[in-house]
Amino acid sequence: MKKIISLVAVSALSLTLAMGAEQYSMSDADRALYKEMLENNPADIFVDEGNELFDEMVTEESLAKFLGVDIDDLPKTIAGFPRYIPQVDEVLGLDQVMQAVMYLNGYKPFKLKSAEMFSMLAYAKSLANDEPINIDVDANEKMKKAYALGTKVFMMKRGKRGLSCNSCHSKEVTGLILRTQPLPDLGEVNTAGTWPAYRMTKSSLRTLQRRFQGCMKNALLAVIPIGSKEMVALEVYVTNLAKEKGKKIAIPGLKR
Amino acid sequence: MHRNRKLVLGLGLMAFCITQAANGADLKSVIEMPDASAILKKDRLAPPKKYTMPAGCITTDLSAIARGEYIFHNLNGKKAKKSPPKGLPKYIVVNGKKKPKQYGNCVACHNIEGAIGGGNIGPDLHRYKELFIDTGVRSFQYVYQHIADPRVHNKNTHMTVNLTTGLFTPREICEIASYVVSDKKKD
Ligand code: HEC
Ligand code: HEC
Repeated sequence: MKKIISLVAVSALSLTLAMGAEQYSMSDADRALYKEMLENNPADIFVDEGNELFDEMVTEESLAKFLGVDIDDLPKTIAGFPRYIPQVDEVLGLDQVMQAVMYLNGYKPFKLKSAEMFSMLAYAKSLANDEPINIDVDANEKMKKAYALGTKVFMMKRGKRGLSCNSCHSKEVTGLILRTQPLPDLGEVNTAGTWPAYRMTKSSLRTLQRRFQGCMKNALLAVIPIGSKEMVALEVYVTNLAKEKGKKIAIPGLKR
Repeated sequence: MHRNRKLVLGLGLMAFCITQAANGADLKSVIEMPDASAILKKDRLAPPKKYTMPAGCITTDLSAIARGEYIFHNLNGKKAKKSPPKGLPKYIVVNGKKKPKQYGNCVACHNIEGAIGGGNIGPDLHRYKELFIDTGVRSFQYVYQHIADPRVHNKNTHMTVNLTTGLFTPREICEIASYVVSDKKKD
């Protein structure tokens, strides 16, 4: 059953990626490898591993219960993360919520930056595959605040080169070339719906917040920790970009 | 309708909260929520700053231009393939730790003579001397200021800030500028 779900997900994904692929400049060899990997995304192994961990330590039942939703509404609810979580009065990522559920289920929560959490996040988010991203940045005061903070962090020039995320991902520059790399429009390429993803250049599964850290490191912005208010806020901001473009969840992604 | 759904959801959550109330404080301690505000505050960019280029800044000295060229075309000492020209280190010591020296990576955004994989976010700098300096459209001081802190010319610039951030020394800015305005024979 699970296998079928993930098969469907992968073929839906191939479609979105095949379209996206045209925008990227790749060598023929890279393109061939990419095509081969599309048919067999290495991330599937991590998603399967995440599935096992999730079924043991989190479970759909406990997660739905924690989120106060019917189990049938779990996919739709997952497609609306990051969300306001009343139990702690904070806006949280799905990984943080799973930490809480692991704890309530009597397990020691995985660290946010652990490989186990990355895999589990990929699996949990894949439960929402094909669901339209439905984050509501106006849901309440805390969500409004998180969105405002995310916007601020996205625009904030900092670091040794005085760059912001917006320096390279604003409407004015997306599509232009930064040293052979087209600058992606984070909404248009469905960034929020396609991470966790397998990153070919890193040969590993990476999450959205981990990817943010990659850009920070490359551009000499001080790297901020996964799970911090500011990181979650950035995720809120970037997720809303994909929502505005009507994107759906398609996990796991496959990236250059 | 939408409102009703929210209400039902809210009620459900409340009921749930009551059963879980004892865990509220516990939960906050098991969920990782590290603080990033201090890191961000420290990392913030200082306001735009005007500079006057130092005396003897723009030079035709070939070794200075070679350093400027190297800084222009490379990202950092770890990524750079060829060894740097004399007087430019590959690694530097920061707080007792050996770190790759950061270079300009100007080529990421600018095409120029000899560029490999030049970007197009910034203007093409081919024949810069002939087109901009010799015609009087740009001065050496303008080029120096633009590399040091381009925000003085365009407050919404997408370009990197290179002197106000302390990434380079004034002498290094001079070397980069000297390269940009130099007469380049190769295409
Ligand atoms: C100096 C330019 C630059 C800066 C600054 C920058 N990025 Fe990027 N970013 C890029 C480029 C280039 C890519 C595409 C790289 C690739 O295809 O491998 C990218 C890709 C990404 C992706 C992956 C998109 C996808 O779905 O594949 C995310 C997410 C991202 N950036 C977020 C950020 C955030 C958040 C910040 C600020 C903290 C930031 N970026 C700052 C240049 C930049
Ligand atoms: C992230 C992109 C980016 C990087 C990196 C970058 N630039 Fe620029 N550069 C620009 C843009 C965009 C402009 C157009 C003017 C503006 O908005 O500042 C520009 C303008 C310039 C100009 C002025 C051209 C003119 O006469 O109008 C010079 C000179 C220049 N850059 C040199 C450099 C040098 C040297 C470096 C590296 C130390 C560099 N740039 C790095 C984006 C960049």
